[in-house]
Amino acid sequence: MPDSLSAALATLRSRYGPQALRRGGSPEQAGTWSTAVPVLDDVLTPGGLPHGRVTLLAAAGRGPSGRLTLLQSLAALASRSHDTGYVDLAGTLDPGFLADLGADLDACLVISPGPEKWERGLVMARALVTAGMPWVGVALGGEQSRASLWEHALAALAEAVAKRGAICVIATPAPVAAPLRHASSLTLVCAAAGWQRANGDVAGLRVRLTTSKSKLGAPGAEATVLLRYPRPYATAEVVGLPSVVVPRLQPITLPIPDVAGVAARG
Amino acid sequence: MWPAWRLEVEVRVLCARHPHLGLLAALRRYPELRGEPVILGGAPELRLPVVAASAAARAAGVRVGQPLRQAQQSCPAAVFVPLDPAGIERLRAAICVELHRLSPTVEAGDEEAFGDLSGRHAEFPDEAAWASALARGLRSVLDVEIAVGVAGSRFVARLAARASHPGRIRRVRSGDEAVFLAPLPLDVLPVDPAVTARLAAFGLDCLGAVAGLGPADLQRQFGPDGLRLYRLARGEDSGGIHPVPAQRAWSERLMLDGATGDLEILLGGVRQCATALGGRLTTEALAAGEVSVVFEIEEAEPISASVVPAAASGNAGELWTAVLGLLGELKPQAPVAAVRVGVTRLSPATGRQADLLRPGDGAREAVVATAERLRSRFGATTVRRPRLALDPGDLPERRFTWEAPVAAGATR
Repeated sequence: MPDSLSAALATLRSRYGPQALRRGGSPEQAGTWSTAVPVLDDVLTPGGLPHGRVTLLAAAGRGPSGRLTLLQSLAALASRSHDTGYVDLAGTLDPGFLADLGADLDACLVISPGPEKWERGLVMARALVTAGMPWVGVALGGEQSRASLWEHALAALAEAVAKRGAICVIATPAPVAAPLRHASSLTLVCAAAGWQRANGDVAGLRVRLTTSKSKLGAPGAEATVLLRYPRPYATAEVVGLPSVVVPRLQPITLPIPDVAGVAARG
Repeated sequence: MWPAWRLEVEVRVLCARHPHLGLLAALRRYPELRGEPVILGGAPELRLPVVAASAAARAAGVRVGQPLRQAQQSCPAAVFVPLDPAGIERLRAAICVELHRLSPTVEAGDEEAFGDLSGRHAEFPDEAAWASALARGLRSVLDVEIAVGVAGSRFVARLAARASHPGRIRRVRSGDEAVFLAPLPLDVLPVDPAVTARLAAFGLDCLGAVAGLGPADLQRQFGPDGLRLYRLARGEDSGGIHPVPAQRAWSERLMLDGATGDLEILLGGVRQCATALGGRLTTEALAAGEVSVVFEIEEAEPISASVVPAAASGNAGELWTAVLGLLGELKPQAPVAAVRVGVTRLSPATGRQADLLRPGDGAREAVVATAERLRSRFGATTVRRPRLALDPGDLPERRFTWEAPVAAGATR
């Protein structure tokens, strides 16, 4: 390290205390919950969604983004092995759809605080996490109220999640409020990449996911997932596999240049 | 792909049948009436029905629900006693205290008491020993023999208790409900008599015959009642234990040394009251579901605020936390002469022994209890559990129904 830099660091430490500057160490470690979707577990979020942290599914812009369907798919997966809470602030949850995604409804608690009651929903989520709910999904929606009204409730929820080691996934519309950006340890930006059609019907939605923030690894990873909509009126006994799947990517072959031919011609 | 274990709670409900609490209260008050024909309901000249009758009165032909004058004609030597609500409540409270020693969720009615036997108890090796202990405890409180039934649901447990005898326990193992219920007559169903009459008109004479029908067929004939009939006949009723909320209320009042508007003094006074109340709660092993603070204003109406905290307060620290949140709502416009802190919705603070080998076993009870508190604070529709309908028909919005997250151990 250059002498001038060392001197500057020493001056800052002596002036502001030894805690003012710390050397960056290895990325923070956290237990993870596997989503059973390879692209989510391997590429975007190493190992899966983190325990004790807030994961944010943020819409890239207005219009459909697939964040709520993805959240409900994750909740359905989680309900098979955990008690699961779903805070429906968007007012869009259809338990029948949740059952079609393979959820165990006996393990699901749906919290409906009312439209645009963000603070109340976050307070209720915190109460359940504190009581021991291991997995909580929060679907924010509607008109965004002022952040000052609910940011303390969000901070309390994040603290409870950290203390209990719970998994908390929050789906938020665009634009993402500053308190949410701050509280999140892992932010996946969801952007719709087009409808998946089959026999003239819309069978699913392709969603492009980008890791815009990660305290557990390097951000910037991108991947596309297909959210396949289950058949209507299907019962929970019929649906077995999760509907979030990864499209098989075709390998790209590049022509190998004929170096010898170029040299001969040149 | 997912963990192999799955959190499942086998629900077991105990039902204890005993003589009407009003009769027992009368016998405590007048021990000389033991063995005599006693009719509970009031004087025979009143136009009231018989509430309960002793064994000797029933043997003489007295029936519950018949007019008191008719009962007098059936049994002229009977002693008519009025209802003693205070005595009944004392007995009911004693039943709850005794059952709560061994079961986390109890319900005490006039002629039945229910207890939750789900999971395991650290003191007893199996369910039979646990049920025996509960029965012995009830017998010591009521001083009569109890008929006990244990099953996987409230409805089947009640029928098992009816099939049992005083001093005996009838257990219906999980999975045997249908076999137990099959030979029983239709009049045991808790439905409108018109429904049972219609079932009989179809040639159905027992629960086994009803259980053999499909849910769609029963729904077409009886509407929503049909689905309930289907579940009851198979012993799959969703009625759990409905704990009676404690009506007790405690409060601590502190008269201030001279009316004052000084917030520091008011804070100190409220803290003193909260500490004293919290100590009482800890001593009695109770937790408060609702907390209130009252400022008594000199020569004016008192101002108050109350809250149902997310977690029940069982000690001084938790109570102070709940009270602190209320102080911001109270803005006295005149000097305060006295402060009062009150707690209501008292319930036992103890719980059952969680099964350590079953991950999340204890957490689920806490989650459901928290859900109940959130429902009482924010509304019954704010926290619910979805359930798929058995035969929804063609309308997608009828594919599911909402139900309350029941107390731990109770049947869904």
